[in-house]
Amino acid sequence: MSGPSDSRIEQAAGGDGGPVEAVSAEAIVDAVERGESGEDRPVDPRTVAVWRWVALLGSLPAAAAAGVFTISMRLAGGPLGEILWMAYPLLLAALGVNAWWYPAARYRRLHYRLDPIGITITDGILWRTQSSLARSRIQHTDISQGPLQRRYGVATLKLYTAGSRFTKIELPGLAYGDTVALRDRLLEDQEGDAV
Amino acid sequence: MPSDERTAAPRADGFEPTLKLHPISWVFVAVNHIKQFVFALVAAALLGSNRDAGLWWPLWIVVPLVAAAIWHQWVFRYGFSDRGLVIHEGLIFRNVRTVDYERIENVDTQRGVLHRLLGVAEVRVETSSGGKPEALIRVLSLADVDAMRERIFERRGVGLGAAAGAADAHAGAETETLLELPPAELVRYGLIDNRGMLVVAAVIGFLVQSGYFEDMEERGPPPWLGSLPWESLAALGPAGPVLLALLALAVLIGLTRVLSVIVALVTLYGFRLTRTGEDLRTRFGLLTRVSLTLRRRRIQAAHQTATLLHRLFRRVSLRVDLAGGPGHGGGQESPGQTTQRELWLAPLCPPEDAERLIRAALPQVRFDGLEWRALAPRARRRIFRLLSGMWLVASSLPALLATDGAWPLVIVLGPLPLFFMHATLYVRHTGWALHEEFFALKRGWLTRKLSVTPRNRIQSVRLSESPFDRRHGMASIEVDNAGAASVSHRLVLRYLPRDDAERLAQALYRSGVGGEPLAARARA
Repeated sequence: MSGPSDSRIEQAAGGDGGPVEAVSAEAIVDAVERGESGEDRPVDPRTVAVWRWVALLGSLPAAAAAGVFTISMRLAGGPLGEILWMAYPLLLAALGVNAWWYPAARYRRLHYRLDPIGITITDGILWRTQSSLARSRIQHTDISQGPLQRRYGVATLKLYTAGSRFTKIELPGLAYGDTVALRDRLLEDQEGDAV
Repeated sequence: MPSDERTAAPRADGFEPTLKLHPISWVFVAVNHIKQFVFALVAAALLGSNRDAGLWWPLWIVVPLVAAAIWHQWVFRYGFSDRGLVIHEGLIFRNVRTVDYERIENVDTQRGVLHRLLGVAEVRVETSSGGKPEALIRVLSLADVDAMRERIFERRGVGLGAAAGAADAHAGAETETLLELPPAELVRYGLIDNRGMLVVAAVIGFLVQSGYFEDMEERGPPPWLGSLPWESLAALGPAGPVLLALLALAVLIGLTRVLSVIVALVTLYGFRLTRTGEDLRTRFGLLTRVSLTLRRRRIQAAHQTATLLHRLFRRVSLRVDLAGGPGHGGGQESPGQTTQRELWLAPLCPPEDAERLIRAALPQVRFDGLEWRALAPRARRRIFRLLSGMWLVASSLPALLATDGAWPLVIVLGPLPLFFMHATLYVRHTGWALHEEFFALKRGWLTRKLSVTPRNRIQSVRLSESPFDRRHGMASIEVDNAGAASVSHRLVLRYLPRDDAERLAQALYRSGVGGEPLAARARA
């Protein structure tokens, strides 16, 4: 993350008197030792396979339905049947790209960053989001695994806040053990009112 | 969470609640039950095939409802144990609920016409868990309500060191009136607010539903239409219909405004904002008298709105978001209650009073010396291009159809200066400011909105970039707190320079650690 040097915004935030400095230097050194240096980390590559399977299984019914429709239209004759017949491979190609390329691209974009304050998750290919959540704001957490995720040993970490719009912030695709470790790290030594 | 226990538990605790509801309670409970069935009853009465039995046969449903209401009153008990408010209820399945004194945030009342005639009130005991009230007591006499308030707030001080001060403030009962709205002000509010429009829409909707317009053709024009002076209108020539249309429009607008004024007078009559210790309280309503408590530590954000009409009258509206306020978390309100209620700080006040009132809710807010920061330099061009592009697409077809003379050009190019003006003004009136303690943002020029949220209330921050944002090196920021439930008051800012957005997101995210949690840790 951009260092605290040049920031007019930090000045606007009240110079160095802001709550940021409430975290002591030792705490930061300690955090860096524990891997909370605030650098972007990718999730587990095995999640790509999970997403590919999910996309593939999701597109099969659509492809089958469109196929049946196309064939029946073609048998019925007329120009529409011909057009659909030509367009059908394009549909298959689009579904293929969606199932093969998209998960890999999303994996390349999906990162999480842990620092002494909390976690920041970067996600999205076209529409990109970066959600930041301080650990003191976490109300409770879930670790969930679908059947495919279990097969590949990955999990989704869900962090719940007392917010109103983003009450749940998700990080999919970490290896199960890492998910548990990350959750424990987010939850350790926090107290006080999360509202 | 409320601790729902079986009857055995409180006996072990050694506490049995003994206080009863007001003797007339069953009427209100029954009315409330019937309200849920009223549509079914009316539909049954109107559509029922069993016409021979008369229109009134569905009313037999009412009998068990009344019986249930009487039974409810019979078994309902409440009391004040050492720990909290204990409520004992249940028709067949007994339920004992204990709400700890420390967790009780509000004891609010609501009184309709009938309540006021009988000198009783419906009481809602609210905690910070949000959504529906923790306990709904229907109904108590006013003296009992006062007694309940006293007991609850007096007990809250005991065993909760930090709150002792607040309790003292309650005991001291030094109440300061911050704002009162005289009828003249309510008339102004009615003129600004457009609620009359809703009434008109509802009436039209009802007429459509009831098939009034479909029957119109058969009925022919109503007789009073013939008695109008059509001849003199015809004498005006082609200007006649235009004049008539304008007249009709004026009448419609006038009518909706009159309705708005009436609605404002009825719903907000005698509006008063007071402060007692740490609490703000609003009271309003002519027929249904509402009393709401806005506990300061539950306030998540304050919003100031000024529409064009507000500015014409030199006024602004102020409202607040509460943690777990109405509409939050989809909590099912108990039936017969309005689910969405505006949490007014001031339905209307002069702009120069706004800061004082906002500070009553959020003491850390200071507007003077605040350094407002602008949107990205290219935001104006981008908004203009976006609007123009959309307009070009939308207007190309009508422009092609209107082939004669300069019309196509006028249609396509006419609104462009307007778009340019909008983009310029929007950018000029939109911005943000980050203070040590709070985050403020303002947006819009026609309707100007200003929102402030304390930094220690921020739950999470989201920075997002659309493909267009990336092309222009911009990003938008959305701040989430526990109360921003309504769509029109989301804390979102678009068209920020990417770098600013990134640093702002970081600063806001970090501010989540400060404030209360740290203070609590220091105390411990």
